[in-house]
Amino acid sequence: MALSLTVNGEQRSLDVEGDTPLLWVLRDELGLKGTKFGCGVGLCGACTVHLNGQPVRSCSTPVEVAAGGEVTTIEGLAEDGQLHALQKAWIAEGVPQCGYCQSGQIMSAAHLLATNPAPARDDIVAAMTGNLCRCGTYSRIIAAVESVAGSSLAYDASVAGGEN
Amino acid sequence: MPTGYKEETGEWKPDAWLEITTSDEIHFTLARVEMGQGTYTGLTTLIAEELEVDPEAITPRFAPVAPEYRNPLYKLQLTGGSTSISTSWEPLRTAGASARQMLIMAAARVWNVDADKCTARQGRVFHPNGLDSVRYGQLVELASKEVIRGDVALKPASEWKYIGKQRGRLDARAKSTGTAVYGIDVELPGMVYTVVSRPSQHGGRVKAFNESEVRAMRGVLDVFEIERGVAIVADKYWRARKAQSALKVEWDNSDAFSLSTSEVFASYRKAADKDRGKSERSEGDYEGAVKKAGKVFEAEYSQPYLAHSTLEPMNATAWYKGDSIEVWAPTQAPDLGRIAAARVTDLSPSDVTIHTTFLGGGFGRRLTQDFIEEAAAVAYRVKKPVKLIWSREEDTQHDLYRPAMLHRMQASLEADQLTGWHHQIVGPQLLDWYVRNAAPAQYPWAPKFMYDTLGKVGLLAEGIATPKDMSAIEGAIEYPYNVENLDVRHTHTDPGVPVTFWRSVGYSHNGFAVETFMDELAHETGEDPYQFRRKLLKGQPRHLDVLDRAVRMAGWDTPVPEGRGRGIALFKSFGTFVAQVVEAGIENGTIKVYKVACAVDCGQVVNPRIVEDQIEGGIIFGLTAALYGEITFEGGQVQQSNFHDVQLMRQYERPEVTVDIVPSTESPTGVGEPGVPPVIPALGNALFALTGKRQRTLPLKADA
Repeated sequence: MALSLTVNGEQRSLDVEGDTPLLWVLRDELGLKGTKFGCGVGLCGACTVHLNGQPVRSCSTPVEVAAGGEVTTIEGLAEDGQLHALQKAWIAEGVPQCGYCQSGQIMSAAHLLATNPAPARDDIVAAMTGNLCRCGTYSRIIAAVESVAGSSLAYDASVAGGEN
Repeated sequence: MPTGYKEETGEWKPDAWLEITTSDEIHFTLARVEMGQGTYTGLTTLIAEELEVDPEAITPRFAPVAPEYRNPLYKLQLTGGSTSISTSWEPLRTAGASARQMLIMAAARVWNVDADKCTARQGRVFHPNGLDSVRYGQLVELASKEVIRGDVALKPASEWKYIGKQRGRLDARAKSTGTAVYGIDVELPGMVYTVVSRPSQHGGRVKAFNESEVRAMRGVLDVFEIERGVAIVADKYWRARKAQSALKVEWDNSDAFSLSTSEVFASYRKAADKDRGKSERSEGDYEGAVKKAGKVFEAEYSQPYLAHSTLEPMNATAWYKGDSIEVWAPTQAPDLGRIAAARVTDLSPSDVTIHTTFLGGGFGRRLTQDFIEEAAAVAYRVKKPVKLIWSREEDTQHDLYRPAMLHRMQASLEADQLTGWHHQIVGPQLLDWYVRNAAPAQYPWAPKFMYDTLGKVGLLAEGIATPKDMSAIEGAIEYPYNVENLDVRHTHTDPGVPVTFWRSVGYSHNGFAVETFMDELAHETGEDPYQFRRKLLKGQPRHLDVLDRAVRMAGWDTPVPEGRGRGIALFKSFGTFVAQVVEAGIENGTIKVYKVACAVDCGQVVNPRIVEDQIEGGIIFGLTAALYGEITFEGGQVQQSNFHDVQLMRQYERPEVTVDIVPSTESPTGVGEPGVPPVIPALGNALFALTGKRQRTLPLKADA
C-alpha cells in the first residue's frame, strides 16, 4: 500500500505492505539503521522510536498504524548539528558497552525528559525498565539521565538539542 | 600484512597494526573484536601510550583474517577467554614504541642531532632545543627507512599518560548516535534477505517441505534445503518471514536429540555412579583423610543449560562471486568463519574475505560460526548479496548452550577442620563441539576433505595438537584453599545438546559448586563464612586482599538489615581475583538483590572505568543466570523462546554495585568474565543466611 510518514522532520512516501513493522520500514526502506531489532515482540525496547511524540516499539507497530504520523528515530534526535543533551551525557558517562540497546535506551530517556524534565530516581527507573541491556549498563544509564535531568539541559532537551 | 611506505597513498605501515599517513591520520588495526568489553578503547590506548598520541587521534579498524592477528594463546584469530589486554599488553606497546622510535630517528637524522636527545609527544617529534618540532606525517617516508637495532625501550609506568588513567570509551559517540555499524546493519547493492527454518530437535533432517506454496508467496525469490534446514530468500526481510510462516517442513528426527532435561540429569547421575571420573588434580590422600575423619559431608549441585541472549540476534551477510566470497558478520572468530564459508561453497579459505563489524554482544556465542555457514550456503546458491537474520525465537532455540552440569562434592571434617576435598564434575567438554571449525582454521592450507579428520585428530591429540580442554574443570582444579588432601575429577558425559563457551565458561558452574560448598562447610563447622575461608588462604595474598576488601566494603561485621541476608564468595578466573558480598532478601515472593560489594585484582589497569563496567556487567549477567537462567528440553525441544521466558535482569531490579579495584603493577589480566562466577554462589549464600535453606540447584527460588 502507498502511505506517507514524516520521519525526522522529512516527509517520506512509501509503497509497502501495511502489516510490515515500522522497524523494517525505517531500517530497510529508509536506511535508518540506528533503530535495532532485538525481539520482534516489544519485550526488549531496542527498537524504540517516537511516534507522534510517544515512545513505541517499532518492531511490533505495523507501518499502517503509523501512516501519516511523525516518527523520530535516534538519527533525528540531534538538532541543528547539536547532539541531544542525552547523547552528550551518554558519551560523557561512557554508557555503551556493546551499544546495541542504546538507541532504544536513549529514545526512552528522551521521551521521559520531554514529558518530565526533572524526574526523580524512581521515575527514571520506571521509564527505563522496558529497555533491556544484556551488558548490564543500567547504572551508567541512570547516571547519564540524572546528569541531564533537572538541569537547564533537560528543559532544552524537551525542545531542542541542548547547549554544550 | 605488507609493511613499509607506499608513495602513491602516503601511508606508512611500520607493522601489522599501525598505519600513519603523510596527513597525520593514524589507523590501528584492531585484531580483537569489540563486543562491549572495550578492546576498541583499551587496545588503542596501549598503542597510543607508546606512540605518544592521544587515543582519540587514532582510528581503529577491524582486522582482516591474517596470521599476524591470531590470538597467541589459541593460535586462532579469536576474541575470548578474557585475553585481549593480557595478550596485547607487550606486543601493542612494543609496536607503538617501535614506530615512535623510528619517527624520532628520522627527525634526528634530518636535524643531525642525537636521537636520544629528541622527544615525542602529541604526534610530533621535538628537537633537543625543545622549540622546533615536526609532525609525524612529515616524517613517515623517512621513518620507514629507519632500522631499529636491538630491543626498543618501553616507557616506565611513571611516564604513562593514558594507561591507568584513560576513562572514556572511543566507541561511545558512534553507539550513542545510532551510527555504529553492527552485522545486522550491513547494506549492499541489490541485497536480498534470507531466513532459515531449522529442526526443533538438534540433528533433525529435512524430509519434505511445501516448496511450491512458499515459492508463490509475495517477494519470495527462492526456497531450498541447506544442510542446516530450509532457506527462504525474498526481496524484503518481512516478506521472507511471512513466507516462513507458510512453510511446512516434515522433519526426520530419527537421529535427533530427543531427551528431556530430567533425563539429561538422570544420565549424568548414572554416568557419575558408574565412573568416578578422570583425575584432574590429586594431592595428599583423600581416601585416607576420609577414613581418618570423624565426619564426611556431602552435597550435590546441579546447574541448567543457559542461553547467551546477545541482544543483536545471530546474523551474517554474504556475497558469492564465483571465485570468491565476502562475508560481513559480527563474529568473535573470523578465521573460523572462513572455514565455515569454505565448507559450504566450492571455495578455499583463502578465497573467503571476512569483514568483521561491531558485535551486539558476544559472551562466547559468536565463537561458533553457524550463522556464517548458513549465510554462505544461501549466498552460494543465489549468487547475490544476501543477509541472514535470526529471529529472537530462533536465537534462543538454536543457541549452543552453557552445558547443564552436575557436581558431587564431599569433604572430610576432622574436629571441625577441613582435611579433605573431593569434587566430581559431571558433564560435557566444549572442544568436542568446537574443534569442527577450529582445527581446520589452525591449518587453513589443509584440503577441505580433511576438515572433519582434523577435527577428530584435534580431539585425539588433545594437549598436543590442541590445548587441553579445560572447559569442564577450570575453576575446580585451581581450588585455592589450603586443604591437605584434594581429589578433583571429571566424569565426561555428553547427552548431545549443542554446547559452547558462555561468559566465564567452566568457572561459571565450578564457581557455584566450590563456593557454595565452602559456605556449607563453614556452616557445618559453625564458623563465620568469611573467617572460615580466610583461615585457609595462608600464602595467598591476592586472594586474601580482595576478600578483606569486599568484606570491609560490605560492612560484613555490621548487623544485616531486617529481612536481608549477606553472602560471600571468592573466585579467581582468567587470572583475576574477585571477591563479592551480596546483600539480598525476599520481597513479595521474589528474590531481591540489594547490594553487591566487589573487590577485584586484575593487575595493572588500563582503563579504570571499563574495568568497573565489565565487573558490574558481569555481576548483572551472573545475577540474571542465578535468578532466571534456565533452558529446558522436553522431548529434545527447547521450551523457551523469547524474553518473556528468557528473562534478563531489568533496570528496576538492578542492585547497588560498588567495585573496588586493587592498585597493582602486576601484568594485566582479563575483566570481561571474572565478575560472573562469584556472584551466583554469593547470592545463594546470602539467601541461606536469610532463610536457613540451602539451594543446590539453579536458578534460585524465592520459595525454596
